[in-house]
Amino acid sequence: MAAWVKGGATDADAAVEAAATLLASARNAVLAGLCAELSAVRAAYHLADALGASVDPVAGPSLYAELGPLSRTGAMTTTPAEAIGRADAILIVGNAPWDRAIVGDIAGSQATRGRAAGSERVILSLGGPRNGATRHVAYPAEAGGLAVSIAHLRAFLKGNLAGEAAYADLAKRLSSAQYGVVLYDPAEIGELGVEMLMGLIKDLNEATRFFGLSLADPFQGRALLQLAAWTTGQAPRVGFGRHVPEHDPWRFDSTRQIAAGEADAALWLASLPAPRPDWLGTLPSVAIVGVGSPDASGDVADVVFAVGVPGESAGGSLWDERRAAIAYAPASGQTAELSAAGILTAIQERLTQKKAAAC
Amino acid sequence: MLIRIHGGRVVDPTAGRDAVGEVWIEDGRVVAPSDRAPDRTIDATGCVVMAGGVEVHSHIAGGNVVMSRLLLPDLYVSEAAPEGHPFAHAGGSAAWIGANYARMGYTLAVEPAMPPANALATQLELADIPLLDRGALTVMGNDDHLLQLLRAREGKAAVRDLVALSVATSRGLGVKCINAGGASAFKDGMLKLSLDDEIPVYGLSTRKIMGALLDAVEEIGVPHPLHVHCNNLGIPGADESFVATLEAAEGRRIHFAHAQFYGYGVADPENPLTGGFRSAAERITEAMEAHPNATYDVGQVAFGQTVTISLDILRQFAGRKGANPKKWILNAGDAEGGGVVPFLYKPRGPVSSLQWAIGLELMLLSKEPERTILTTDHPNGGPFTDYPHIIHLLMDKEKRDREIAGLHKVIAERSGLCAIEREYSFSEIAQLTRSGPAKLLGLADRGHLREGARADVAIYRDDPDRTAMFARARLVLKDGETIVEDGEVVAWRSGRTLELAVESDKAMVARSETYLQDRFGTGLKSFAVPDDAFPKPDVFAEVACRS
Repeated sequence: MAAWVKGGATDADAAVEAAATLLASARNAVLAGLCAELSAVRAAYHLADALGASVDPVAGPSLYAELGPLSRTGAMTTTPAEAIGRADAILIVGNAPWDRAIVGDIAGSQATRGRAAGSERVILSLGGPRNGATRHVAYPAEAGGLAVSIAHLRAFLKGNLAGEAAYADLAKRLSSAQYGVVLYDPAEIGELGVEMLMGLIKDLNEATRFFGLSLADPFQGRALLQLAAWTTGQAPRVGFGRHVPEHDPWRFDSTRQIAAGEADAALWLASLPAPRPDWLGTLPSVAIVGVGSPDASGDVADVVFAVGVPGESAGGSLWDERRAAIAYAPASGQTAELSAAGILTAIQERLTQKKAAAC
Repeated sequence: MLIRIHGGRVVDPTAGRDAVGEVWIEDGRVVAPSDRAPDRTIDATGCVVMAGGVEVHSHIAGGNVVMSRLLLPDLYVSEAAPEGHPFAHAGGSAAWIGANYARMGYTLAVEPAMPPANALATQLELADIPLLDRGALTVMGNDDHLLQLLRAREGKAAVRDLVALSVATSRGLGVKCINAGGASAFKDGMLKLSLDDEIPVYGLSTRKIMGALLDAVEEIGVPHPLHVHCNNLGIPGADESFVATLEAAEGRRIHFAHAQFYGYGVADPENPLTGGFRSAAERITEAMEAHPNATYDVGQVAFGQTVTISLDILRQFAGRKGANPKKWILNAGDAEGGGVVPFLYKPRGPVSSLQWAIGLELMLLSKEPERTILTTDHPNGGPFTDYPHIIHLLMDKEKRDREIAGLHKVIAERSGLCAIEREYSFSEIAQLTRSGPAKLLGLADRGHLREGARADVAIYRDDPDRTAMFARARLVLKDGETIVEDGEVVAWRSGRTLELAVESDKAMVARSETYLQDRFGTGLKSFAVPDDAFPKPDVFAEVACRS
C-alpha cells in the first residue's frame, strides 16, 4: 500500500486530494524534513511558495552551525579526496568524526599528491577519544568545551598565549604541516567553535596551507543547501508568507513554530531515513516517507504517502559524502509506484485547481 | 505561426542591415519575407530590432555562486511577486537571473566555470534558470589527472581524449582554463605564478598546460576557442601576462576572459609592486590587432557592492586582504575549488575609477567589436544588470563625460578615456552583444536575423536614454514566442542547455575509471549528468563540433 488517509488505505489520487485540502485550509503550514532526493526538495520549495508556507530541513541544526559563521567571517575548506591525497597533518576535533569512515580512509593512506606526497601523515586529536584504534596524538579538551579549547589553541598559535602547555606543542605541529586539514562535526563544536576554527585555519594560512573539512549531516543537508540557495537566493529556512522568500533561522524553525502554536499544519518529507519528529500527528499533518520505512503506515499522520527511496526504489540526486558533491543515484531495484516529487507536484497542482475553482 | 515584425529599425551587422525594415518568423526561425498573410503582426515603429543578446561569461551557476549567496545573503534584494514565476523576484536566484537577462533582451547565457567534479549540481542549477538557453564551460588545467598525463609526456592524443571525456561527462559547451596550474601551485605553497614559472611537483608551467589544452580544443573541434583566464589577474603588470599568453597561443584560437582585469600596466617601473598601475588598454588593443586568432570579453567594472567569484584560488587568496566586507571563502577543491571575496567598487576611489575607465577604454579603442565582447564578468566586475548603463556610456560621449566628472581624477592622469570621442553605433552594440558572442561560441543560428536564424529577437524603443532603452525591452521573442513585453516577463518557459556533441575514447574511459576509483572511491558514473536527474525532459540540446 502506498497511501493512507486518516489511517485507511486509499489510492494516491484520493490522498493527494486530502493532502491538498488539509494544507489549503492551513493559515501557516510548515514543510519540514526534506531528507530526500533533490527533485523532491525542489518540488517542496515550489509547494511552500504556493502555500505561503515555511521550509525547515531536519539537517538544520548541523547546517546552521556553519551558516552563521560562514556569513559572518567566511571559511577555508577542502574536500575529502584532497585531505586523503594531500594532507601530512590531520587534526580531528571532538568525538563525532571518529565514527565516520573518512578517519579510517585517512589513517590507512598516505599523501600521494602535492608537496607532502610520501611524507608520514600525522594524526592529531583535540578533545577526542584517547584510546581509539587509530594511532594518533591526543590533546584533551579544556573544561570550557571544544569551542574554548579551539580558542586557546588559536591563542597559542598567534603567540597571544605562551608556555609549555600541551596546546603550545599542538600549535607547533600544526604550523609545521605542509598541507593540514581539520576534521570536525559542526553540530558538535557549534557556531562559536566553527567560527573560532575558521579563524585558526586562516591564521595558519599566513605561513602554510591548512583547511577545514566538516562532516556532512546524514540528512541530505549539503545537497538541499545548494538547491535552496539557487532557488531562493537564501539558506534553507525560509518562509513564503509574504510571497517572497524571507530567511530567518529562528522564526522558521519548525519545532519552535509548532511548539509555540504558530503553525497549524505540517508536511513531513523524508523519502530517506530521518528521525520522525515528536510533533508529527499532533497537528494536521501530511507525511511523505520512503517505502519500507517504519513510518510508512496510516497512523503516522492524517495523510501518508509511501514513496520511492532514492538509490533503492527511485533514482535521485543525492549528496555523496566521499566526493563532497551531488551525484545521481539510480534505483538499484524495482521502481516504487509513487515518487516524492510526483506527489508534491500533484498536491501543488490540486491546490492550483482549487484556487481557480474558488475564483 | 507566421509573424511579421515591421516598421522598426532592423540592426543586423552580419547582414549589413541598419535601416527600417521587416523581420519574418515562422516555426521559431527567421524566414524570408512571405506573400502569405502573417498570423501575427508586430508594429515596431520607433523601435530598434536586434537579435537576442548572447552572454559568454557570467557566473550564474555552480558551487561558488551558491557560496556567494550564503556569504552575502543581502547582496540582492528580493521583492514580492504575487504572480508569475515563484522565484523570479528572489534576488540572486536562478529564476531572478533568467528574468533579468530576458528583460534586457538576452536569450542565451553561458556559465564559464564548471568544474567537472561539480558538474551535476551546476547543470541542475542552470536548468532552473528560466527563459534563456544556457551553457557551461568545462574547466581543466589544474586537475591532477591532466597534470599527470602532461608530466609523463603522454602526448597530444591522451590529452585530447581526456579533455573530450571531461566535456562529454560534464556536458559542457566548451573548455576553459583558469590560471592553469595556479591552484595546484597554491596548494603547494606558491602565492604567485607567471607563464613560465615551474609548478611544484609536476614540473610543468602554465604555458605547457595551456598549450596542451589549446591543441586539444582544436583537435576535438570545439567551436568555442579555449577560454583562458591568465596568470596574475588584477595586479600591476598584468598586461605582461596578457600579452605573453597571447603570444604563447602561437596563432591558435584563444579567448581571453575579462581583459579589463589585465589592462593594468605598471605605473612606476622602479617600484612595480607599490607604484600602482596605469591603463594598458592601448597596449592590449595593439596586441589584439596583431593577433586575429584572439578574442576577449571585457569584464567591465560597475560601481557598488559586489562579490568576486573565481576558481583562481591563488588570486582569490591574495585578494582576501581587500575583502569588503571583511569576510571571504576559499575552497581548495578537487582541482581548482574556488574563492569568494566580497568587493566594493568605490565611485570616488582611484583604483575603482581607473578599472572602470580601462574597461570602457578597451571597448572604445577596439576596431573590431565582434572580438570585444561586453561582459562584467558577473558578478566580479559588477552585476550583468549594468549592461544597459554600460551601453549608454559607449554610445554617448556626453554621458561619459558627465560620469567621469564625478569620478576620481586618476582617470585623466592614468588612462586615455577622456580623449576618446568615439560613440558606438547600434550596429557596433549588436556586434558587441550579439553577433560577436554568438560567433565566438560557434552558434551559427544566433546573434543575427538572417534567414535560418533562431527567432530570438529583442525589440527596444529608440530612446536617447540608452540605459532605459536597453534595460527594459519593449518585446522579446524566444524561439518566436513572446516572453517579455514592456520590460516585464509575460510568459515563463524553459530554455535548453547547450552541450557539445563529443565522443569519448573507450581507452580513456577505462583509464579514467581506474583513476577516479583510486582517488574518489567511485567511478565515472558518479560524475555523470544523466537526463534522469532533471525534473523535466529535453533539458539539453546538442551543438556539433567543427568539422
